[in-house]
Amino acid sequence: MGNGKKALRFGSVLLALTLTLTGCTGGGSSGSGEAKGGSGTSAEGGGKDAYVLGESPLEFSFYGHYDWYTMPNWGEDKASEWIKANKKVNVVPISSGGQAKQKLSTMIVSGELPDVMWMERGADVETLRKAGAIVPFDDYLDKYPNLKKWAGEETLDMLRSEDGKLYQFPNWYTTQPNGNAGYMVNKKIYNELGKPSLETTEDLYAYLKQVKEKYPDVVPLEVGQSAGAIDIMTSAFAENRPYLYSSLSMMAVPSGDTLNSVFTDGVFRETLVYFNQLYRDKLISQDAFTQPLEQVEQKIITGKAAVYVASSPTEFGAIGNSLLSEEDPEAGYIMVWPVHKEGLDKNKIFPGTYNQLGWNVSVISKTAKDPEAIFAFLDWLTGPEGQRISMWGPEGLYWDGVDEEEAPLFTEAFTADTKGRDELMNSTVNLQWVGNTVYVDNSKMKFEATLPEEKKSWETKWQSEITWKTQYDTTEFVNLSPAGDSAEGIIAQSVGEIYEKAKAQAILNAGSEADVLAIMDQAEKDAQQVGYAKLLEYKTQKWKENLAKLGR
Amino acid sequence: MQNTTHRISVEKQKAKPSLFKRIGRQWDLQLMVLPALLFILVFSYIPMYGVLMAFQDYSLFDGFSGSPWVGFKHFEMFFGAPEFWTVIRNTIVISLLKLLIGFPAPILLALMLNEVKHRMFKKVVQTISYLPHFLSWVIVSGFVMSMLSTENGSVNMLLQSLNLVKEPINFLSLPEYFWTILVTTGVWKEIGFASIVYLAAIAGVDPSMHEAAAMDGAGKLRQIFSITLPSIMPVVIVFLILAIGNLLSAGFEDILLLGSNPVLRDVGDVLDTYVYRTGIQNNRYSYATAAGLFKSLLGVLLLVGANYAARRSGNSLW
Repeated sequence: MGNGKKALRFGSVLLALTLTLTGCTGGGSSGSGEAKGGSGTSAEGGGKDAYVLGESPLEFSFYGHYDWYTMPNWGEDKASEWIKANKKVNVVPISSGGQAKQKLSTMIVSGELPDVMWMERGADVETLRKAGAIVPFDDYLDKYPNLKKWAGEETLDMLRSEDGKLYQFPNWYTTQPNGNAGYMVNKKIYNELGKPSLETTEDLYAYLKQVKEKYPDVVPLEVGQSAGAIDIMTSAFAENRPYLYSSLSMMAVPSGDTLNSVFTDGVFRETLVYFNQLYRDKLISQDAFTQPLEQVEQKIITGKAAVYVASSPTEFGAIGNSLLSEEDPEAGYIMVWPVHKEGLDKNKIFPGTYNQLGWNVSVISKTAKDPEAIFAFLDWLTGPEGQRISMWGPEGLYWDGVDEEEAPLFTEAFTADTKGRDELMNSTVNLQWVGNTVYVDNSKMKFEATLPEEKKSWETKWQSEITWKTQYDTTEFVNLSPAGDSAEGIIAQSVGEIYEKAKAQAILNAGSEADVLAIMDQAEKDAQQVGYAKLLEYKTQKWKENLAKLGR
Repeated sequence: MQNTTHRISVEKQKAKPSLFKRIGRQWDLQLMVLPALLFILVFSYIPMYGVLMAFQDYSLFDGFSGSPWVGFKHFEMFFGAPEFWTVIRNTIVISLLKLLIGFPAPILLALMLNEVKHRMFKKVVQTISYLPHFLSWVIVSGFVMSMLSTENGSVNMLLQSLNLVKEPINFLSLPEYFWTILVTTGVWKEIGFASIVYLAAIAGVDPSMHEAAAMDGAGKLRQIFSITLPSIMPVVIVFLILAIGNLLSAGFEDILLLGSNPVLRDVGDVLDTYVYRTGIQNNRYSYATAAGLFKSLLGVLLLVGANYAARRSGNSLW
């Protein structure tokens, strides 16, 4: 009995101790695991001499503000290994852990911002700027020439914030069209059905019907995740009509000099009627709005889709094309010129969009030890040397020397060792933070032009033949979204929900054209009730500001 | 030896010991409770200051001290929001359905398992039925989605081969099926695990009562209603009170994953998903906190109410 009691006491002390101790250590280590804040004085540029990259070691932390983004470890691929060794730059990744929004909020509250944050333009950047958390680049622009030279004044002006200063370093900015949006067709099925014309929306409908009949296990039209094809195909029902107008991110259609409601827009309604018909005829996936991306990928790479319309169909298409053509030289994918509604000019149909600002931006936190050094590095990375190395590895591997325009001279290995090359390029794809579209695309195209037909890359071929010619410049419509917690932002959230619901209902639940239109009418009524007019007014004003900046 | 003399000396004092003395006497037991108390204090009580956010225009950069106080602004906005009534209706309907179907189901399963004579069979059923509890909702919703899919979904294939339907039904995009799918999936996932408590309670019922009832000529059903159920009633009522306190937590992960289709928002938007969407996704922290606080307040009221009602049967929590 006495022994039992003793054992109990000993046990309970042990239990209590371990529990409290693990509690403490757990908290402690998670705290110190965070990025070191580095409360060094923020250098404001000014009269200091330009920072020379590679003279002294530079280390900074990097955070990609995306759920899906995980930065590859720095120095583990050939490109960053070279940069680490030769430029003495080390980048420490900070992971979003799949919860980017929570992660950033936590870092803001704890006052431990990463040195570089890589994120979408717009509300989040503005929040950081208004709080004085990020560094303006204006003093550095002349000292480090690449960004200014390659992006151009116009693009930089568009990126400037209300106070006239530049806080954002753009990624994949451009002055020429780029993008992959369009219509991809399963070559084997297309040939077996006798290569019917696929020019108009009626052609497409008839073709899909044929596919459905002859190939019951194939999805006639793959619409992609969240049914992105519906957005894209609005471009087929009007000339000079980028799909952006009626997408969730814009929800405003220009006519004259104002932006108007998407729910009353004739083109948007016509597209929904078209897709409702496709859905009822079982010509698109029945789980279009809920299927995960992996499911789409599987259908494409196994050739189980006859037509695939997406903003980047080539991504899965390239893999699918090489897999399918390996087994059967007749199989694979081709792209076709964008379809259009009967009576429209096919050269004025734009299924894709691009804007000069490119994709996203990097901002540098004020808590960074030496913001100027970081800017110097990003500027180097976006310049020709940085781009060559981060895209195609260090010199001597797949390229050797440059021509008079600084485009790399690709070696034999570039076309002979495609596997090694693709591996290298895939390993650095998530390190392309400050991509220079014009330089990279032109270097690529210059080289492709010298190759015989059979050696050309599948993706580049379609880019030069079709997709780059059918992308629409939407630079004037950037940054129309209000901040999430502003009055307009709250309206935008409500209207966005009405939009998503109405769109899905119009496709999935409507039984006739009249139903689709009735759903849209109801959505318009609901949207006006939550203040859509005010949101449109805000967007119109922002649009006009953009036009003024662009001098259009 | 020492221990025994110590105890004897304590017992000699006779006078009623004070609270501290009593705690001191059971210090070993108290020590075991301490980590749990600390846990609750640190993770449940200290963070409560965060509800103050609901009365501020909270800014991440300015924190609590810097953000302006705005009184009940966010509550007023929430009550006036166009989604308010949809969200409240969905929350109440879904949780009532879960309570009505999901609460009695494990009791029923426990009663049925208790009557199974074959030990092995009983063990196997029990194990299989409580396994889904350990699967995350991500996996369960994946199962459900592929089972209900129109292309190669097993449910549609079954219905078609039985000639019950001609065309596959797109279950997950039709609002009228959503509540059924949600509640059924929830029951399937939790029924086994929830029944463990009731099985334990049934095991504690004195067998002599059953024997006596059998002697008096009570059949199996009679025994269940007159002996087993009344005996486990205190446990059932305690769990019912807790379930009512959670009535406004209609669910989060299950709805978020199964109801991702925008068509389902009219029937699938509940308080928790609404708070998540507005607060975390759109950075409206104060507004979301106000909505969350409103939910908690109603939850407490329901709990107290249910407990008050249960007190009359003598089985209340406090």
